[in-house]
Amino acid sequence: MFIEYTWLVPLIPMLCFLIIGLVGRKTPEKGGYIAIAGALLSFIIAALIAYEYLTGDAYPNPVTEQIAWFQIGDITLNLGYYVDGLTCMMMLFSSFISTLIFVYSIGYMGDQGPRKTRYYAEVSLFLTGMLGLIVSSNFLEMFIFWEVMGLCSYLLIGFWSFRHPEGDAASANAASAAKKAFLVTRLGDVCLMAGLFVLLGEFHSLHSLDYVTLFDPSSIAAADPEMLSLGMLLVFGGVIGKSAQFPLHDWLPDAMAGPTTVSSLIHAATMVKAGVYLTARAYPLFIQNADVMLFVGIIGGVTAFIAATMALNNMNIKKVLAYSTISQLGYMILALGAGGYLVALGMDMGGAEGSALVAAGVAGYTAGCFHMMNHAFFKALLFMCSGSVIHAVGTEDMREMGGLHKHMKITSITMLLGSLSIAGFPLFSGFWSKDLVLEIAMEAGSDGTVWFTVLWILAVITAFMTAFYMFRMWFMTFMGEEGHASQHCHGESPKTMTVPLMILSVFAVLSGFFIMFGLDAMVSFNVTDTAFIVGGGHSEGFYYFEELFTNPYTYLTIVLALLGIGIAYLMYVKKTVDPGRFNRNGESWLYKALSKRWWFPDMYNQISWKFGYGIAKGVNYVDRQVIDGTVNGLSGAVVGGGDAVSKMQTGHVQDYSSVILLGVAILSVAMVAIAMFFGGM
Amino acid sequence: MDFTSVFGDFTAMAPLIILLVGALLLPAVQFIGKRPTATWAVALLFTAVSLIVNMMMLTDGTSYTTLDMYTYVAFTGIMVLLFQVVLFLAILVSNSSVETTRLHVGAYYALLVGATTGMMFVAGSNDLLTIFVGVELTSISSYAMVSMKRKDPRAAEAGVKYVIIGGLSTALTIYGISMVYGLTGTTSLSAMSTLVLDMNWMMAVALVCMIAGYGFKIAAVPFHMWAPDVYEGASSPVSLFLATGSKKMGLSVFIQVFLVTFIAGSVLGAEATEGLQYLFAIIAALTMTVGNIVAIAQTNIKRMLAYSSVAQAGYILIIMAVASEYAVSAGLFHMFTHVFMKGGAFLVVGALICAGIGEKISDYRGLAKRSPFMAAAMMLFLFSLAGIPPLAGFTSKFFLFSSAIGGVDGVTSQWVWLAFIAILNSAISLYYYARVVKAMYVEKGSSDEKIVVPKAFTVAIAICVLFVIVLGVYPQLIFDYCELAAAAIF
Repeated sequence: MFIEYTWLVPLIPMLCFLIIGLVGRKTPEKGGYIAIAGALLSFIIAALIAYEYLTGDAYPNPVTEQIAWFQIGDITLNLGYYVDGLTCMMMLFSSFISTLIFVYSIGYMGDQGPRKTRYYAEVSLFLTGMLGLIVSSNFLEMFIFWEVMGLCSYLLIGFWSFRHPEGDAASANAASAAKKAFLVTRLGDVCLMAGLFVLLGEFHSLHSLDYVTLFDPSSIAAADPEMLSLGMLLVFGGVIGKSAQFPLHDWLPDAMAGPTTVSSLIHAATMVKAGVYLTARAYPLFIQNADVMLFVGIIGGVTAFIAATMALNNMNIKKVLAYSTISQLGYMILALGAGGYLVALGMDMGGAEGSALVAAGVAGYTAGCFHMMNHAFFKALLFMCSGSVIHAVGTEDMREMGGLHKHMKITSITMLLGSLSIAGFPLFSGFWSKDLVLEIAMEAGSDGTVWFTVLWILAVITAFMTAFYMFRMWFMTFMGEEGHASQHCHGESPKTMTVPLMILSVFAVLSGFFIMFGLDAMVSFNVTDTAFIVGGGHSEGFYYFEELFTNPYTYLTIVLALLGIGIAYLMYVKKTVDPGRFNRNGESWLYKALSKRWWFPDMYNQISWKFGYGIAKGVNYVDRQVIDGTVNGLSGAVVGGGDAVSKMQTGHVQDYSSVILLGVAILSVAMVAIAMFFGGM
Repeated sequence: MDFTSVFGDFTAMAPLIILLVGALLLPAVQFIGKRPTATWAVALLFTAVSLIVNMMMLTDGTSYTTLDMYTYVAFTGIMVLLFQVVLFLAILVSNSSVETTRLHVGAYYALLVGATTGMMFVAGSNDLLTIFVGVELTSISSYAMVSMKRKDPRAAEAGVKYVIIGGLSTALTIYGISMVYGLTGTTSLSAMSTLVLDMNWMMAVALVCMIAGYGFKIAAVPFHMWAPDVYEGASSPVSLFLATGSKKMGLSVFIQVFLVTFIAGSVLGAEATEGLQYLFAIIAALTMTVGNIVAIAQTNIKRMLAYSSVAQAGYILIIMAVASEYAVSAGLFHMFTHVFMKGGAFLVVGALICAGIGEKISDYRGLAKRSPFMAAAMMLFLFSLAGIPPLAGFTSKFFLFSSAIGGVDGVTSQWVWLAFIAILNSAISLYYYARVVKAMYVEKGSSDEKIVVPKAFTVAIAICVLFVIVLGVYPQLIFDYCELAAAAIF
């Protein structure tokens, strides 16, 4: 009885957006309470839907319903919802974390005055985008919400662009970061759109883009495999943009220019998760080609590694977290890629051996989704903790912090829990999912291709680096001597901020255990001859304990994580190891490369903005001057006169005429040539 | 309602006749009353009546013919509707705009209405000569309107340029028509459609001359260079009229003259038409690419919108290459959404000029603070132009580009490359649109003073905003008629 109302989940935040936009300024907290109420209501409905669906008769078959939206040619495009295990998990954690972030915003944005209305309206719309994307029943509907979210991220990242608390330079920075985020992700969106067109062309005989029709094995079998692979590669281009994967990862660290709550929202509950979600959602189409999945896996593994290196020496507390997000997203994509690779191989092979590969591969799906959920909890926690710190000391530079533990105990301890979780400390949530990710990469390496073994090695090194940079961050912030800014610390943040931290830290520690209580069945991926179904698998329960702790590689990662924490301790608390020794006090080539983010921003600048703008200027010049000039020489006499009036503006009228005549001449020649080519003459 | 009892044999031209009467009356109204507002109201009234009559005829679905030379079918109805909407928006704001002439009010409205009559005449013509007459009526009225702007020497210059280039184009057109007549012995569209297929080099030159002549109207590359100068020089209501109305007339001519030939050709299996289609594909690709790339370098917002208009024409030209029924309906739909998004953007520019804000993009800094409604509306229009869902521009581009991919009607087409160029272009376009949004929302302005714009502008912009959103989420509202219109041609 609740599933029929799934459309309410995105609609409620949408209504909140309208209400806040129209009358928000007159309500207490400028619309803050409305936003919270909306998010909470969405969460409650999502919970009811999830409960009804998971206990209902239909489970694990997806429940989907749609109304015709419009018709183009003989294709009907629908609006509707699609509920399965993945939808349930995504809806629940997105709306839950968003609610906590909105509550936290009351404290964090408290001093922003009337501008809060804009803030709460935009975050509500942002949540609409994410929830809409999750419940969408077809690709076009998904794409629309996908773009709505992109638009909101542009507005939110640029939120500080008027009167940044840190002055004009920071305002300009926020403005350009917002634009960069928008344009870079848009590059991915173009790929996604092209991919949708390819799918539309490939599946035209089905007359729709609905998931339920497209994911049917019989319709997939009817499609041209090569076109399908092309389409999915293009779709994955959208994922690369949205989920900040290599080589389009660079917008995410810049997006830190927005308020910390927005970063938290973007990194944990929405936006970047959309890409991973899309990969998981379109899995039945992705797994049709092993090479596509290999590409996905390589992108994920490389991203995880490169992003982690850049976090090693960053001094900005939020940027360290941003790189860690990119790196963790890489893990998720790697898991989905590795698992999908095995499934694709297995389906190709067939027989008992094939089924074994498929069975091994689907664990990658669970691992990727599981890590996405755990990451949402601990990353939201970490960002909100960093927000609490920034709120108290007024800077993002970790060199000016230090010794904050005694000033803000709650923030310090909750952040420690979050850091332990992301570092993969045994029994914390990050430990479970990260080890599953590593295990599937390993397996794809041994049963599939050596590429995945390489990626596994990268991922293991990444695990070590993660533990190191997270604890470097924690020690620099909370331990050691008090820095310049710590001396002006206002003390612990208000209750509206610390309570969400405490709630989230419980989840950050314990959410790993969800997998023992049936989460793995809920987000399992089942391949049969007649359907691809998410959910309804067999739950392994406490078997995971046995599986992980009897695997020697688990101990390897535990040791590496502890080693990372230990080195960070020696360097930044004990100070017995001088970090300067490794980087020649910031003079080494590697240190510079990392500080420069492997020169990615410079490369972007050169290639896109400068080069692109240069072309535009060049074409403009050619359009206005060179063509005019050349033609002028050739045939300026054809249309004389008009000299008196032509000089004031940019163009000369006689030149325009000459261009037209030249155009006619060229087109005539082209026309005759084409006509001869086609044999029409 | 049965219009034949009122208009008799001329029922097909009923909306046109109403406007023509208006055009003749308006100078007299101004001469007698001497009150610009009254003249404005009368002009608006005639437009509204004509609009309503056309809507009734369109929804009624009957076809009419007058004297074998003017046919009213669904295609005519939808084009006429588009021209009327443009005219309505242009007149609505003309009285309040500070750019509009105060010396020749009667003549101004008469020219505006007269130019629209010309467009409407084109949309129903089935003879090359009547099309030519309609186009000239529009052109000559437009030349005068462009130079009618208060206190701005650029207007006179723009006017002169427009006349010279326009004259050249007219010469090319009539030259092309004369050659076609010489070769086929007829100027009737239906009669010549099959004769044209007998391609030889003279026919090729004749067709290219016509493409150039009408390509000037839609500002297709390489016949586009006048557009930025003229749009910049003319007053905003006139720029709106030219960019959204007059351009569509050129497209209408292309559809009527060439598309009909393509259809005849494909029935006969003639290869010559394929050559023409490739020619259009090249022009379309060039037009959208040049338009978008040059737009990036512009600092004047009117010039930027002009180049973006060039690019939009390029998108619509896709339909000439694809030449399928679905493509035509998508193209017609995009023409409609273009009216509201590009028209809306020009209206915002015009409104802000009234409030004393300049035409440079840098003048728009901090606009979100000074006038939240104008900034929000402009943002919607620009994002719609860039094709961001769920706005109208996305939906229509989706239709348009998917027609080139060919998946929708189940026919795989050879125009996939064109669709990809178009998608890439629409990605490029976001760059310069985002720059304006950034200026409005992100950069700090020199003043925080609130802006007051004339009411008429607010109303017109609100109408455009409404349609940009409604057509985005409920395209069927107009798309159904576009499909009917396309079916009427095929």
